Amino acid sequence: MSGRRQLKIGDEVKTLEWLPGEDTDQARVRIGEAEYAVRFQAVDDHQILLQVDGRTVRAFVDGGTNGKYVFIEGGVYRVEELDQARKRKSRAGLDQTPGEVTPPMPAVVVRILVQEGEAVVKGQGLVVVSAMKMETTLKAPADGVVKKIRTGLQAKVMPGDKLVEIEERG
Amino acid sequence: MFNKVLIANRGEIAVRIIRTCREMGIQTVVVYSEVDQTAPHVLEADEAVGVGSAEPKQSYLNIDRLLEAARQTGAEAIHPGYGFLAENSEFADRCQQANIVFIGPPAQAIRDLGNKTVARMIMSRAGVPIIPGLDQTSEDLQLFSREAERLGYPVIIKAAAGGGGKGMRTVSDPGDLSETFQSCKSEAEKAFGDASLYLEKHLEGPRHVEFQILADSFGNVVHLYERECSIQRRHQKVIEETPSPALTPDLRHQMGQAAVAAARASGYVNAGTVEFLLDREGNFYFLEVNTRLQVEHPITEVTTGLDLVRCQLEIAAGQALTFRQEEIQPRGWAIECRIYAEDPEAQFLPSPGKILTLREPSGPGIRLDSGIRAGFEVPMEYDPILSKLIVYAENREAARQRMIRALENYVILGINTTIPFLLEVFKSAEFREGRTRTDFIDRHFEGWKPDRGKADLARIALAAHDRCRSRTPAGEKASVPDRLSPWQTLGEWRV
Repeated sequence: MSGRRQLKIGDEVKTLEWLPGEDTDQARVRIGEAEYAVRFQAVDDHQILLQVDGRTVRAFVDGGTNGKYVFIEGGVYRVEELDQARKRKSRAGLDQTPGEVTPPMPAVVVRILVQEGEAVVKGQGLVVVSAMKMETTLKAPADGVVKKIRTGLQAKVMPGDKLVEIEERG
Repeated sequence: MFNKVLIANRGEIAVRIIRTCREMGIQTVVVYSEVDQTAPHVLEADEAVGVGSAEPKQSYLNIDRLLEAARQTGAEAIHPGYGFLAENSEFADRCQQANIVFIGPPAQAIRDLGNKTVARMIMSRAGVPIIPGLDQTSEDLQLFSREAERLGYPVIIKAAAGGGGKGMRTVSDPGDLSETFQSCKSEAEKAFGDASLYLEKHLEGPRHVEFQILADSFGNVVHLYERECSIQRRHQKVIEETPSPALTPDLRHQMGQAAVAAARASGYVNAGTVEFLLDREGNFYFLEVNTRLQVEHPITEVTTGLDLVRCQLEIAAGQALTFRQEEIQPRGWAIECRIYAEDPEAQFLPSPGKILTLREPSGPGIRLDSGIRAGFEVPMEYDPILSKLIVYAENREAARQRMIRALENYVILGINTTIPFLLEVFKSAEFREGRTRTDFIDRHFEGWKPDRGKADLARIALAAHDRCRSRTPAGEKASVPDRLSPWQTLGEWRV
């Protein structure tokens, strides 16, 4: 495992540098300008006990390849390894242009409000999806014509799925 | 008393009902949909019957299948929980026709109170003040438009069969009326199987104060005091407490009397809740009666010492109330918050998915009614409520501090939850001072972003965790099985 990693939380990317200490449960950790004296000990598979500059911190860590969740005192931080985040994005084609009609959360399609070939105006409702009994209307990103509808009623859809293709006018 | 009860629900409320049944020596039968085969309510019940696919209409709202499950297992009564068929008079009728006791009020009371216009008529006759709005439910958009103009925007569109904020939205701009009308209609159809809507004047920043009532079939009616449920988002309650910081003893007495009058006037039997809106001048208006056990019932239980599910079962079995109004003396202060699978950073969008690490808070004065477990896939088809955290203490400030402590010890990883948001609400000066009104979240927490003050610690924790894991011998990691045991993967089964 390399000593330097780029870790993203929210919009903030910081470089973490891990400098092993004399004992295996000790390290000095540099994050940006700051440096911390750290002792650490695994409690179980997902729980870790830290001493950071003498202060005891109990943290829980879990998650898969697309980022990990870290829990500290009621706060949950979603931490992404920057290299991985970049790779995953390009693989899934998730570099979202604002012009895409995609659900903001995993959901089920409950209504389709337009037909292929239909002219639409920016902000017009195209597809209504539902998750956990809440409905969300996905709207046309620009004036144009509905080129292709890539979903059907009751289809389960995920963020990143392009449900409607709009051919922009002009 | 019944020997066996079927619970026509899922999640935390099904688990909560099972607990009381078990304490009373009553056998429990639960139903489950395809995506709930290993949900906690299935794991806790004595028997479980699969009733259909994930789509609620095919399973938890499927009256034929539910009655068949009751018949097949020999259940004598059905507890509907809240949501789904809890306030569906047809379901209550169908239970009766099948000689199964519906644990709730008579079908006629559900029908009358579920119809907003009939409810308003009953209340105004009983001398309970009501909010201006449509006299009848309708599917006619034109009528809504005219009434909205007459009352003046903003107005609220409500599902006639509604509750819990489903199929209910505020409209401020006449241009949004049509689309909102359609959305409410569809939401109402999905949530309640009834698409008819109703319109009311929107009151600015009121408090939401409700009274728990209990009525037996011998004409005894008591109230179990109030719950303040003002902190809401999208008209759904998020935080509830009792007593209300807003009531004087005199107002409490008046509202309690009104709640009892409302129950008597509607021929109510079993547990119910009379909801009021309270304006800044201390005027209260009848909002609706929830003809079921409320989500927030636990705060009343911990302050009165009564088990409301036990009361419901006793009343349904034909027993009389064993206490009088003057014997009910609430003590201390209780607060509940609802933990939703939602992303508070992104307009509370639903966040279904798999629960990874789960660690629940405990200690003095803490109760957790939960419907999740580690490894459970929270389905996208149902309500986002995961659990309810309830704290009890001698006064409001002690309860608030206790809630903060409990939330700081509540670990749910894998999906987004409202816990970080709730923590900041409880820490806020506005909450501490009891300035809770229904516009609380919009007013004080609009566009809320979490405090990322401990982001460096989170990075350190992740790096240290990775170090520990890389030191773990490969053989040890493999000891955690990925697969569920056959007991958890079996479909329909009986013990």
